[in-house]
Amino acid sequence: MSTRLEAVAAIRGTRRRHRSGLRLANEAAQLALRRAGRRPIEVDLLLNAGLYHDGLLGEPALAAIIQDDIDANREDPSEDAGEDVSPQGTFSFDIANGACGMLTALQVADGFLAAGTIDHALVVASDADPGRRLAPAFPYRPAGAALLCAWDDGPGGLSGIRFASRPVDDGGMRAIVGFEGGRNRLAIEEGPAFLPEAATLAAEVACECVEQRGLAVRDVDLVVASPLRQPFLDDLARLLGVPADRVVRVRGGAETHTAALGLALDAAQHSPAWAAARTVLLVSAGAGLLAGAALLHPHG
Amino acid sequence: MPATTSTPRSLPVTSWLVTEATPSERAPHRARLAAVGRTLPPTRLTTGEVMASTRHRTRIDLERLTGIRERRVSVGDEDSLSLATGAARDCLARWGGDPGDIDVVISGSITRYRDGLDTWLEPPMSLAVAEAVGATAATTFDLSNACAGTLTGLFVANNWIRRGAARRVLVVSGEYISQLGHNAARYVRTIMSRELASLTLGDAGGAVLVERAGDDDACIEAAGFTTVAGHSRLCLAYPARREPGARMFTRARAIQAAAILDTPPLLAEALKAAGIAIEDVDHVIPHQTSARAIRKGMADVTAALGGEPRNPAVVTVDRYGNTASTTHVVALAEELGAGHIRPGDRVALVALASGIEIGIVLLTVDADLVDQHVDAT
Repeated sequence: MSTRLEAVAAIRGTRRRHRSGLRLANEAAQLALRRAGRRPIEVDLLLNAGLYHDGLLGEPALAAIIQDDIDANREDPSEDAGEDVSPQGTFSFDIANGACGMLTALQVADGFLAAGTIDHALVVASDADPGRRLAPAFPYRPAGAALLCAWDDGPGGLSGIRFASRPVDDGGMRAIVGFEGGRNRLAIEEGPAFLPEAATLAAEVACECVEQRGLAVRDVDLVVASPLRQPFLDDLARLLGVPADRVVRVRGGAETHTAALGLALDAAQHSPAWAAARTVLLVSAGAGLLAGAALLHPHG
Repeated sequence: MPATTSTPRSLPVTSWLVTEATPSERAPHRARLAAVGRTLPPTRLTTGEVMASTRHRTRIDLERLTGIRERRVSVGDEDSLSLATGAARDCLARWGGDPGDIDVVISGSITRYRDGLDTWLEPPMSLAVAEAVGATAATTFDLSNACAGTLTGLFVANNWIRRGAARRVLVVSGEYISQLGHNAARYVRTIMSRELASLTLGDAGGAVLVERAGDDDACIEAAGFTTVAGHSRLCLAYPARREPGARMFTRARAIQAAAILDTPPLLAEALKAAGIAIEDVDHVIPHQTSARAIRKGMADVTAALGGEPRNPAVVTVDRYGNTASTTHVVALAEELGAGHIRPGDRVALVALASGIEIGIVLLTVDADLVDQHVDAT
């Protein structure tokens, strides 16, 4: 019994077409719902893990606006919505855990699914240039991803999510909105040691995750990891001792951020190795340092 | 705004909230509130001083409108991280345990200012708080849910403890949010200004420690949350364009109308999940926006539910203003410190936030928690 991913969706934006992080999130959410054959009103919990959105909105949670836009139980509960009434409303909020946000959101969703509190959770993440001249050197390409999660009584699914942290100066990388030159600007800075240190921490927590489930790293058929940057993925493969071709790569993925894990999962599902993959290792690392890992048995 | 009626109106039977209540096979444990802590900056700013700082002559009697006499503000001595860390330290000092035994640290803060008015979007604030208080073994993450952030953190903490995934969770928030008022003071002209609510904000830090309860302990009896997203764009905050910090634009009347419509049936649902009636609740701690809004809201709840809690709703907004996601913890600490909450009392924390988010946490308080706040003399 565990959380199963009913659908994975990824939207690769172009700078021209996708200037809105919200629009990317909405499109990814709707695509995941379509792929799963679910209606928006079936979403009980909606978690947004994306960080960089239109105008760098601070409140409300962007998840609430996504819920509104995809029409998931947006009406007042005291209204009689007619025959098409869901038995339960939708609860939406944001997870803001840097590049590990999607994995943290999966962990939070898994908790409510495991308790039997909800039937379906939708995890969404997207980033795009926030516009309004807030981020003159915004480093990420527009991208969005969504995962539709449900509880499954069968074997397989998601298990063993765990995190580790190792405080380092300035978190290894940092993103700060500060007032400079008469306006607020977002600056994202990364130290040279960030990627190798992130890979080290990610490999450690991944090994703990695998061992905790009574497996060995050699049992892992595919590694779905973020950030999708080659030095990180190369280091991770080397430290884990898995062949480089078991680590999912996504063209253009290096410039994506919170949605990267979803993009990698989507790419994995479309790869030839997926059909035979019994054990998939999910790994994320981000500023802090923070790293998390989980196992996914996609076919039971 | 609908007028309050004296007869109970019929409430639709719903299960609209995402609710966790009685233990089950898959969630066999309960969580108890082990400690509560807060930080308030020493500097007081009266509503008269705030209104005297507006650029335009407004003729708005904000104190009469909201009941807010003063609020505490950082004058650069505190930021979001220092307030959250201070509250966490206060909470853990009252608890007296080893911070190394904390499994999870969650930050539910809206603001993430460090070093003045720099917003740190990454790395997360929760990690910095965990490091500062020595919760070195903890899993950490930030969540963001407007003024419902801390109670959302409590909701997640309750879930993890119920399932046995964590034994002890620290939920923190630090809101250095009064600077929105500095920015709003340049723009507010009339009572209809969408930035008027920014003038009600105060700064504070709040922290709660929850842990697995024994079979006979006081505990979180029910917690239920929902997002009425049709109202998602009624209160929006962004980094300011021309000023440091942020600006917030609120359609306060529309939010209030939605809250008055939606809160009574959702509160009724949460009470039903806990198997109790409103008369069984000793203290209701609503989100602190304005004393008038709280009294009107409670009158409507009383009319709708056909009964009232044992005590009038807790009001601290007169002293501290709206301290965003920390209001419930600030008020809970205030009531515990004043000796108003006694062992065995039942408290209803009611969140209302931009989204709009409505959440209810029903819990009982034990002697251990009460004793932490009783003056030793």
